[in-house]
Amino acid sequence: MLNIQNLHAETAGKAILKGITLAINPGEIHAIMGPNGAGKSTLAYTLGGRPGYAVTEGLATFDGADLLAMEPHERAAAGLFLGFQYPVEIPGVSNLQFLREALNAQRKQRGEEPLSGAEFIKIARAEATSLGLDHEMLKRPVNVGFSGGEKKRNEMVQMGIIAPKLAILDETDSGLDIDALKAVGHGINTIMRKPDKAVLLITHYQRLLDYVKPDFVHVLADGRIVRSGGPELAHELEREGYVGIDGVAA
Amino acid sequence: MTLALPSARDEAWRWSDLGALPALADAQPSGQPRAIDDLWIDTPGPRLLFVDGAYDTTRSNPGPVRIGSANPDASKHALGRLAGTTGWSLTLGRDAASETIQIVHVATGGANHLAAEIVLDEDATASIVESFAGEGWTNRAASIRLARSARLMVARRFVQDAGFQSHADTAEIGQGASLATTSLVAGAADSRLDGHLSISGIEAYAEAGGALLGRARQRHDAQFVVRHAAANGQSRQIWRAVADEQAIASAAARVEVARHAQKTDGEQSLRGLLLTRTAAINLKPELEIFADDVKCGHGATVGELDRQALFYLASRGIAPLPARAMLTRAFVADAVARIGSEAVREAFADTADDWLRGTIA
Repeated sequence: MLNIQNLHAETAGKAILKGITLAINPGEIHAIMGPNGAGKSTLAYTLGGRPGYAVTEGLATFDGADLLAMEPHERAAAGLFLGFQYPVEIPGVSNLQFLREALNAQRKQRGEEPLSGAEFIKIARAEATSLGLDHEMLKRPVNVGFSGGEKKRNEMVQMGIIAPKLAILDETDSGLDIDALKAVGHGINTIMRKPDKAVLLITHYQRLLDYVKPDFVHVLADGRIVRSGGPELAHELEREGYVGIDGVAA
Repeated sequence: MTLALPSARDEAWRWSDLGALPALADAQPSGQPRAIDDLWIDTPGPRLLFVDGAYDTTRSNPGPVRIGSANPDASKHALGRLAGTTGWSLTLGRDAASETIQIVHVATGGANHLAAEIVLDEDATASIVESFAGEGWTNRAASIRLARSARLMVARRFVQDAGFQSHADTAEIGQGASLATTSLVAGAADSRLDGHLSISGIEAYAEAGGALLGRARQRHDAQFVVRHAAANGQSRQIWRAVADEQAIASAAARVEVARHAQKTDGEQSLRGLLLTRTAAINLKPELEIFADDVKCGHGATVGELDRQALFYLASRGIAPLPARAMLTRAFVADAVARIGSEAVREAFADTADDWLRGTIA
């Protein structure tokens, strides 16, 4: 589904990703872990197409199409969802309006009919209920005045409504208390743990992986994947830290 | 006819470009108005149509509005005084209330002038919605007098396809009375809006605000003064300016508080949004306070669309143009959200949306 080969990227003139190669197949959940400054968020932003992140070498394909040639909104319509570490506040735009516009924009790009207001609200309420987000939050401006946990639940509600093929979740677990962490973990499992979907979980800590069991764990350090393994690798990192892994500076 | 127009050297006129007015004043209207059906808002009440400033009897239902003479009290205003003393008037007696009065002004070129006079007696209430469309120079002056506890809401949208739209209000607001004016400039013509609202009775309320949306080489200029001449008054001036391409949108809002107008509560919020760096926005909040026990807040900011928000919307599948429209709409919303009638508010929001989608051209 996602095929990354020798990806190099820079931001603000500084090389951050220094040759990443990774293949994610349908039905798989991959976790990328690594110390601060390893390039985890840069990887997410580069794949999402954020302005200011330039690919200098390598390629990435998504379902066989050149991902890097697509505009960010085209990547979304193709089925890629980027979960933000710091979801953006948008005053004056209600969550519902934003999500309906987003979903219908994607449907339009895929040649599907737009959803009516009533159909959409039904879906949005169901997703909010499933993730424990107060329905009132759907009417409020996007992320404005939301707590850290509410913002992340809101990201999951968005993911549930948009129903992507591939979710790249950038430190979705940061700043969450245990209840929010469970809710987010449950959301990822319910929405994305399917044979035709895949997840790339980017995380600093192992604790989200208690709720979302990855099939593969990779360690990112200084812009490269220095080690890959199964779920047991996450436990090893939790026990022993990143220091000591090859390629990770002390 | 020789027009005596203020020059850009005059501080109050330096952001306006009146260069097109002499030629428009000499030109003749075509007399072929554009379709107007889309300009009526679906709300009950009297409807009046003026074509090139002339009242269209057959397509109007004036209700309490009288056609004939009007004293716009604009002798000191460079453009307002040209509006003359022919026009429409609304006089409501004590406790009278009117349904929303809709007035559509369609111009077909050249210049047209019209005066208006609104007088509300004690406890009377009225709501007026005006739409300006077509082309040419449309010049208006209105005088408003509100007696004790009278309430008037005025919403105007300026959506001409070409030419120049000028409007000058003068208002006298009595004890406990309330005046709220909202202007939406969202067409392809230039505009100049003026208001001089005077709070002459205690505990009165004055609001003047709106949104100025400009693109291409449009010039919009709004210059409003609220004068607090009595104690315990409240005023709100909320302007949002949006400029794209080479447009210049300007807003000057001034609060004057007389020596005896204690406990005045005045608030100004002027915000500008530059959609490109070739456009320009001028904002000028002014406070002139002679009383010592007042609360007057003011803010003026100009900025660009938030890049992080644009990427966030893109990451959810929203293409750049609709994303910009969505954020711009949110920016403008404050100014239009204050319109009391839901039907009018929605119609104005739609008009702003049309502009954002670029369909008004």
